[in-house]
Amino acid sequence: MKKRKFNFVDLIILIILTIFGLAVLYPFYNAILVSIVPQHVYAASPFMLWPDEITFNSYKKVLSDPAILNGLKTTLIVTILGTAYNMILTILTAYALTKEIPGRKLINYLILFTMFFSGGLIPYYLLIKNIGLINNILVMILPMGFNIMYMIVMRSFFSQLPTALEESAKIDGANDITILFKIILPLSLPIIATLSLYYGVNRWNEWYHGMLFVNSTELMPLQLVLRNIVQDANKFLQGNTAAVANVKTFSEGIKMASVVATMFPIMLLYPFLQRYFLTGLTLGAVKS
Amino acid sequence: MKKKLSRTGLIEQMLNYKYIYLMLVPGLLFLLTFKYLPMYGIQLAFKRYMLNKGITGSPWVGLENFRYIWTEPAFWRAFKNTIIISLMKLGLGFPIGIILALLINELRIKKYKRFLQTIYTFPHFLSWVIVSGIVFNFLGNTGAFNSFLQTIGMHKINFLMNKSIFRYLLVYSEVWKEAGWSTILYLAAIAGIDPTLYEAATVDGANRWYKIKYITWPGIQNIVVIMFIMTVGTIMVAGFNQVFNLYNEVVYDVGDIISTYVYRISFQQAPDYGVSTAVGLFNGLINFILLMLANAFAKRFGNSGII
Repeated sequence: MKKRKFNFVDLIILIILTIFGLAVLYPFYNAILVSIVPQHVYAASPFMLWPDEITFNSYKKVLSDPAILNGLKTTLIVTILGTAYNMILTILTAYALTKEIPGRKLINYLILFTMFFSGGLIPYYLLIKNIGLINNILVMILPMGFNIMYMIVMRSFFSQLPTALEESAKIDGANDITILFKIILPLSLPIIATLSLYYGVNRWNEWYHGMLFVNSTELMPLQLVLRNIVQDANKFLQGNTAAVANVKTFSEGIKMASVVATMFPIMLLYPFLQRYFLTGLTLGAVKS
Repeated sequence: MKKKLSRTGLIEQMLNYKYIYLMLVPGLLFLLTFKYLPMYGIQLAFKRYMLNKGITGSPWVGLENFRYIWTEPAFWRAFKNTIIISLMKLGLGFPIGIILALLINELRIKKYKRFLQTIYTFPHFLSWVIVSGIVFNFLGNTGAFNSFLQTIGMHKINFLMNKSIFRYLLVYSEVWKEAGWSTILYLAAIAGIDPTLYEAATVDGANRWYKIKYITWPGIQNIVVIMFIMTVGTIMVAGFNQVFNLYNEVVYDVGDIISTYVYRISFQQAPDYGVSTAVGLFNGLINFILLMLANAFAKRFGNSGII
């Protein structure tokens, strides 16, 4: 097909999309700038297009803050163990549900019902308390078993694998567990990598369970530590005079350095996350 | 293939699948513990919770908790805010994803298109904690945007503490974070449209607008309807993570939603667990009905829905 000429409407579209792009990008860019300039540059004008002067003081403070380092430790544990736990539950459940076992329909309903109805905050809180998970790192791992959408994506992937290999293995006397680990999983590495990444990001972003169920500062996840830092900024913005009086350090710079540092791992992983956008991950979830 | 099975046949079949059932154990154990067991506590909605008596031993009070909520202005404020905020997001935010997808699809410079999409979708992967930090920095009283306004000779606007602006701030930040992500579904649907349709239309002399109206739009209409219905189904949710990280006492009047209200009354000094549970149950039931309706409607549009 012949290439069409770039006309006026194309230009308008280009401009609108560029403006939206800048509207998304600039707040990030500004946060990064604020995190690397010294206080007097920020005070002169927080609206910057480039850094007039660069310093890593804010980062030095953030990266030597024991609360941040503790949070990082907790979050790394939660992310690694949590993702492994998520994947084990997701794979086992998804694979089992590709089989025409008696009771499958009931199990499907049991799973889906939880998307529509839950006990609510207080019953959940009391349960967690009763099973002794308060102030336990497991509270940020165990209650997030598998994401139903991700499980459905995995199930669709499994069910479109060719069954011939499975059948011949069965004839050779392999049981279902062997088949899953020896035959199915090696064929499923791309989807395993994708879902692990998505789960990993979710675990990295964990703060809610930490806020509800953890009160020892030792066990606070990174995002909760960040939330405390940022919400302090919120008070500062409200003109809380006590907070204003106490500002000796460049608090906004430290806040943005914490924000940027916390999202840095996601920035690193982003190209991999993005690779799977159009492979039908989300579409698959909605269709099935 | 479903055959009627005799009882022995059924047991035999289940034994055949014993390892499959074994695989289901961890997942079902998780659901049972963290999704179904809490439902036992719902009875607190009809009880006065006493710490020393626990869930089972606390005395029944009938509908007293619900009567209390009925007369509680803070509850009705949260109820109203939840619906208004959801409707604003639906009316102002929802169409932006569609328009954005249509515009992206019309952009002809492939590399630039990919670059823009890379930017648009990134915020989706960040938590609301991070996003709130970025929003405070950018829109705060001493932030970049206000500094920009002053540079061009306008007055500062206190975006975070202004009652008439706060709900728009919620819509704006939601669009900023999720609009790019929402285009993915639509763009995937557009990618599935038969390209020969466009070629034939070009041969027939159709302009861009006609192609959008008669080829692209019908191609994504179904998914738009589904997304719309599912969004309506979650109208009573309104987004705890977002509101909780962005709001402050000054804007409770316009920003406090049911989930943030439940959180606050549950973890304040001397909380009444019965009342909290009752609010949660009330909200949960409305949610349940809305979602079931949404699902039924989605099915009617020829799609499978969630169930």
